[in-house]
Amino acid sequence: MFEITREANGTVSLHGRLDASQVNNARAVFDQIIESCEIDFAELSYISSAGLGLLFGTQKRLVDGGGGLTLINLSPHIREIFQIAGFDNIFEIRD
Amino acid sequence: MTAVSGQFRRDIEAIDEIFALLETFTDGQKIDDKTAFCINLVVEELFTNMVRHNEGGGDRITVSIERQDDRLHLELVDNDVEPFDPATAEVPPVDAGIEERRPGGLGIYLVRKMVDDLNYDYEAENRRMRITVTKTLEN
Repeated sequence: MFEITREANGTVSLHGRLDASQVNNARAVFDQIIESCEIDFAELSYISSAGLGLLFGTQKRLVDGGGGLTLINLSPHIREIFQIAGFDNIFEIRD
Repeated sequence: MTAVSGQFRRDIEAIDEIFALLETFTDGQKIDDKTAFCINLVVEELFTNMVRHNEGGGDRITVSIERQDDRLHLELVDNDVEPFDPATAEVPPVDAGIEERRPGGLGIYLVRKMVDDLNYDYEAENRRMRITVTKTLEN
């Protein structure tokens, strides 16, 4: 089960499990992001390389335009995946 | 139960069914959350790799997991496919900045970093690929 919502302040909230079967649902929202914003992971329990790829592509596009994503409230397991992937070098990550 | 196994259609949408099988196992074995997360990720990455790289392969991919003391053994078997050794997958430049990075290539890299052992075997006579993974449980 995966849900993605865009809040009035622009924050994107992820809920549930972002796996390869759900990544296109997430992409529909991420493709609408055109300026810097926060991605809230508080309710996300799982992510695989499919979701990492979507985040990377969005970040690359925003950085090219002078912006970027800020990732907040990552669980310890997801944070570890980001560290292994070297994503702590390419995203701002905050608690 | 100390082992579970299932055959799944060659379709990304089958991931939910695979996760359900793995949850049966991890709940039954009282596997910690971190290891359960790891098992899900490893199986998803290997399964999706098979689905994407072996179009035209057999209808079903077999996923099995077994516990022996403090070790978990995962196995994925794909039939009627071309050989592809995940050990030959390119290593992404994870220390590089975003300017030097390209999308893709993370799945197998994550698997290799998160398990103790990853083995690949290919039987040419019946075009069968078998990937086995060992993961030691944390105390």
